[in-house]
Amino acid sequence: MLIITCPFCGPRDEVEFACGGEAHIARPLADHKISDADFADYLFMRDNPKGLFLERWRHSAGCRRWFNVARDTVSNEIVEIYPMGSLPVKTAAKTTYKTSWRRDTAAEKAATPSRSKAGGSK
Amino acid sequence: MANLSSSKPDFSGQTALAGIASSTSANPDGGAIGLVFGEMAHLGKLNLRGQNGLAKAVKAVTGCTFPPKANRFQSAGDRHVVWLGPDEYLLLCEAGKEQELQDSLHSMITSSHFAVTDVSDSLCALSLRGPAVRAVLAKGCGLDLHPTQFAAGQSAQSLLALSAVTLMAVADDAFILICRTSFAPYVQRWLADASLEYGYQYIA
Repeated sequence: MLIITCPFCGPRDEVEFACGGEAHIARPLADHKISDADFADYLFMRDNPKGLFLERWRHSAGCRRWFNVARDTVSNEIVEIYPMGSLPVKTAAKTTYKTSWRRDTAAEKAATPSRSKAGGSK
Repeated sequence: MANLSSSKPDFSGQTALAGIASSTSANPDGGAIGLVFGEMAHLGKLNLRGQNGLAKAVKAVTGCTFPPKANRFQSAGDRHVVWLGPDEYLLLCEAGKEQELQDSLHSMITSSHFAVTDVSDSLCALSLRGPAVRAVLAKGCGLDLHPTQFAAGQSAQSLLALSAVTLMAVADDAFILICRTSFAPYVQRWLADASLEYGYQYIA
């Protein structure tokens, strides 16, 4: 069993937590401007890597707060735990974020107002 | 909001454990009874959400220093403020006083974002004491309950025999256990079963 360190409660047993799947999936702001195939990248496509994976966890039996975990799917080693809404700072986790196929998708590019071809939502 | 604090509290409703009678099982070793437990019937419970500007009002109505540190609680007499999350707290007060407390908090808190919710009947509080209290809880809970690791004043939300509970260490041999009302009969029976080897007394 994993011991996961909740950012608020400290180290607790894995049974107290719920895994929320892949982290850093941004919803396209102008979803009507991108193709169905591109929108499917956001809606359906999830990574299943062998190695470091950035995922969301929730301390469901404890403080019920969400946070991000960089976990190696082979060794189960937890490389970094960092708050929701922020990016990892450890080199390995940072590389995983930057090199993810998702960074190049039209869905992600349409997820921030500045990068959206539609000029963002108002 | 109507101020009901002047009317006498009406406790005609059943509590979560109303159907379970007092029972005793002697310590098989012949020694002292390991666990004495009972429901803290009608204990007032308020859920408080919010971050800033709450300390003054909470201090005024409960007498407790606020906010408590993570996984700790503050007490003043029969009133306790328990940390549940970075912006969530549980206020415990004497039976029947929760409406008065809620009204006071509503009128005193000036911060724009907060919520006080009466959860008295949603949760069931049990008072546990006795020399075996930590040994019994440890049978169903993954927390380190050694007195040096879980000292008086500490609290934690965790799982006890698969049911979500909030544990408060009142003293080395005394706890307050809070669970969902719907889980209360199960938790009561689990506690009785788990404490058979130490002897127990359940006070209805």
